[in-house]
Amino acid sequence: MTMAGHDRSSLRKVRLYGVLIALLGVMMLPFYAMFSSTFKPESEIFSAPATLFPSDPTFQAYVDVWSQTDVLLWIGNSFVISLGTVVLTLLLAIPAAYSCARNDFVGKRTFLLSVLVVQMFAPVVLIVGLFDVITQFGLFNTYLAVIIPAAAFTLPFNVWMLYGYFKTIPVALEESARIDGASQLQILTKIVLPLTKPALVASITYTFLYAWNRLLFVLTFLTDSGKYNIPRGVFSMVGALQTDWRMMLTVSVIGIIPLLILFAFLEEYIVAGMTAGAVKE
Amino acid sequence: MSLAEEYTEASEESRLERGLAYLQRNSRAYLLIAPAAVFLLAVVGYPIVETFRLSLYRSPADSTIETFVGLQHYAEIFDSDIFYRLLWQTGRWVVAGVVGKTILGLLIAIHLKGDIRGRKFFRTAFLIPWGIPYAISAVVFRWIEHPQFGYLNAILLKLGLIEQGIGILGNPSLAWLGVVVADIWIGTPFMAIIFLAGLQSIPQELYEAAAIDGAEKWHQFRYITLPQLKSVILIATLLSTIWTFVSFDVIWTMTGGGPISSTATLVIHIYQVGLQNGNLGRGAAYSVIGFLFLLVFAVIYLRIYTRGGDEL
Repeated sequence: MTMAGHDRSSLRKVRLYGVLIALLGVMMLPFYAMFSSTFKPESEIFSAPATLFPSDPTFQAYVDVWSQTDVLLWIGNSFVISLGTVVLTLLLAIPAAYSCARNDFVGKRTFLLSVLVVQMFAPVVLIVGLFDVITQFGLFNTYLAVIIPAAAFTLPFNVWMLYGYFKTIPVALEESARIDGASQLQILTKIVLPLTKPALVASITYTFLYAWNRLLFVLTFLTDSGKYNIPRGVFSMVGALQTDWRMMLTVSVIGIIPLLILFAFLEEYIVAGMTAGAVKE
Repeated sequence: MSLAEEYTEASEESRLERGLAYLQRNSRAYLLIAPAAVFLLAVVGYPIVETFRLSLYRSPADSTIETFVGLQHYAEIFDSDIFYRLLWQTGRWVVAGVVGKTILGLLIAIHLKGDIRGRKFFRTAFLIPWGIPYAISAVVFRWIEHPQFGYLNAILLKLGLIEQGIGILGNPSLAWLGVVVADIWIGTPFMAIIFLAGLQSIPQELYEAAAIDGAEKWHQFRYITLPQLKSVILIATLLSTIWTFVSFDVIWTMTGGGPISSTATLVIHIYQVGLQNGNLGRGAAYSVIGFLFLLVFAVIYLRIYTRGGDEL
């Protein structure tokens, strides 16, 4: 490579990273505003115009948040709701997806397409009818009132994700196990599911995130503040006249830490899930 | 009994028998999809039917007595100025949001495509805004746009662009922009990841050939990237349109649809009328109108999704 060519390629690299870092900077700005605000003392956070850097950083907000808010309770509720949704969704999705992948039966196409339509039917346009159903079944103010609708709207993604994956597992594997005398359930739990691990991790991550993040169902079906999840808890801190921004932003930071950990470890699976959900190969 | 009649009866019987035998042979297959099917019918199918039914009734907020009013809700909705204002505000919200997410997503994807160092870090970092609760993002944007203490005003003041703090979210003609920015920020990562997947499937040889021919970057983008990415862009913008149309948490947390309803969209109005004001019938009628919009998008999406035909 000539000197000029070398220069040009390194110039291109500088430009590429420059643009990337600038874009990342723009995307990270809201996080910066959130994090930096939580290290300001109360007097500084309510000073105008805002200081862009905390002049006297303190952890006081993180100390205060334990005693002044229900952040731990909200995180606990978020876990209950998310795990409940994951379990219910998988219990329904695994058999259905497996059945569709292994059998050819009348109504299969209809079933799979209807499931896809459900994914298009956003909960908000259904909320009035859903409200009626939840109250009729006496589920109002129970965790199930949130878990059931969340499971319904994550089920489509799970069915399609697992269906696509099950199809790639050779039937021969199952047949040889059957000859060895394994039962249907053993075949599923000992052979098929372990092989499905990547798809399962993507499914679980997607479902967990969906349930963790949703405000609508909790806002509508839970009035008992003891059952609030993190988004609902944060929302409850928005005051009509006055908002304790310092506490609210600190709770927000704490509320997203579990997700940041999840992202650091499961990035690949999240990406796989996002792409599989939208675009087929 | 004539021979013909006897014949039909016999064949009918055997059709029934064949049907039963078919069900028996496939009983396990049906049994396995049954829980999911029943669940979806109960949690999604039934509320749909219930929404249609409710839309034909009037249920005053203070009583449980329903009176059948037929299509009166619809007539009143189509007759009201609110409906047309909602349509305009929803359209504005969807178009601005989807265009913003598409452009920004494409920009990020193009720069992430190459063989760059720290790709995993960048990809994870760009993904995060999508994965955190919308309500939290909305709260943070509300904080940034705060008229007195917000960072946005602080920056604008420092740059000398404004002389005193402006309250974006309190201003009926600006508020929607303040909310759209948050929505674009949240929706961009999805677009970026989908576009990145699409970009990576474009054969590298196309670019190499173009580079030998001396095509400039812009021309490569215009004549290779865009045409190759066409179907991915179509799917992604279609999905984004649906999600932006039904987006609730962001608007609700940032403005609650205000000030003076300037940020309300169709779905925000459904919530306000149906659940906040307890006018289930009117809210249901708005929901049905929302369904119809969604149905159009869903049909287009299904068409594209099943275009291959036989892979189901």
